[in-house]
Amino acid sequence: MKCHQIQNRLSAFQDGELNDREQEKISEHLEKCSACRKRYEEMEKIWQALGDFQEIQPEPAFYRQVIKKINESNKPRFRVGFRDLRWLFQLFSPSWATAALLIGGVLMGTFLGNTLAKKELLPFQQNRTYSQAAAEVFSLKAFDPVPPGTLGERYLRMASYGEGGHR
Amino acid sequence: MIDPLVEDEKLMEETAQGDEYAFELLVKRHQSRILNLIFRFIGNRTQAGDLAQEVFIRVWQAAPRYKPQAKFTTWIYRVATNLCLNELKSSSRRKLLFSEIPADAGRTPNEEGTVTPSAEDILLAEERSRQISHTLQNLPENQRMALILKRYDNLSYHEIANIMDCSVSSVESLLVRAKRNLQEKLIFFEK
Repeated sequence: MKCHQIQNRLSAFQDGELNDREQEKISEHLEKCSACRKRYEEMEKIWQALGDFQEIQPEPAFYRQVIKKINESNKPRFRVGFRDLRWLFQLFSPSWATAALLIGGVLMGTFLGNTLAKKELLPFQQNRTYSQAAAEVFSLKAFDPVPPGTLGERYLRMASYGEGGHR
Repeated sequence: MIDPLVEDEKLMEETAQGDEYAFELLVKRHQSRILNLIFRFIGNRTQAGDLAQEVFIRVWQAAPRYKPQAKFTTWIYRVATNLCLNELKSSSRRKLLFSEIPADAGRTPNEEGTVTPSAEDILLAEERSRQISHTLQNLPENQRMALILKRYDNLSYHEIANIMDCSVSSVESLLVRAKRNLQEKLIFFEK
C-alpha cells in the first residue's frame, strides 16, 4: 500500500475498525514510514485533546421535569394510585394479591357502608324526611270522600273532563 | 421492585404498560449520556437540557409502539440525533450556538473526598473545554455527530451508521473529514 492509501485508512485504523490483516499492514507501514507516522501521531494528539471536553451533569430534578412535561401534555398515561398498589403484586403472587385486594375491597365497603348508615349519609336516608311526609299526606287522603285510585275518583275525573270538553 | 439491572428493552415494555418506575429507571440510566451527546453537539447547556428532556418525552410517547429490533441505546441515540439535527435546521436556534460552556461543566455536585484542583487549573480546563466545544460547533453537522458518537460514546461504525441512517463507508468518510478538519482547527492544542 502506498502512503496516500495508508493515510486514507488511518482514521479507521485509529478507531480499530479494520480487519486484522489491514490493521497489521498499517502498523508495519507506520513503523517504517516517518511521514505517515507523524500524521498518525498528530491524529492521536487531536483525539486526546478532544478528551478535555468536560461533561455536564443532569439537573437533580431532570426526571421530575420530564414527568411534569409529560403530565402537562395532552395524554398523561400514568395513573395516579397504580404505583401504590404495585408492591402488593411484587410481594405476593398475582392470585394472592388479587384475593387480598378483593377481601380488602369487601371489608372497606362494609366498614364505609356501616359508618355512612350510622351517620345517615346514604342517599336514600337523606330523602327520608321527604318520603315520610309524602307517605303521610298520601295516607290521609284515604279519609277523603273520594279516595285516590278508587272507581268513584275515576268517574269524577272523567265527568269533569267531559264537562270541560263540552265547553 | 424491578431489578435495576434489568435490560432496557424490558423496561420499555413496562413503560409501555404505564409503569412509571420502569420509565424512571430508563431515564436515570441514560440521562447523562443523552444530555452530554446533545450538549457536545449543540454547545449550550440550557438548550441541551431541554432537548434531552424532549428525547425522554418521545421515548415515553413511543413506548407502546416500540419494537426491540435494534439495541435500545441505538434507538434512543437515533431519537436524540434526529432531534439535534432537526433543531439545527431552525435558523433562530443557530444564534444560540457558540454560546456557553457553563462554569460548572465537568464538576459534579458534592465532589467530596477527591483531590481538589486549583482555581487556575479549573479555569484552564474550562477554557480548553470551551475551545473544543467551539471547534466542534464549526464542523459540518454530520461530521460533528459522527465524531461525537465515536469519540465520546465509543460506538462502532456500524452503530453510528444505524443511528445516522447511512452506510458504514459514509461514517468512515465523515470521520476522515472530521478529523482532518479538526487537525486544522485544533492546532493550538499542540503542546
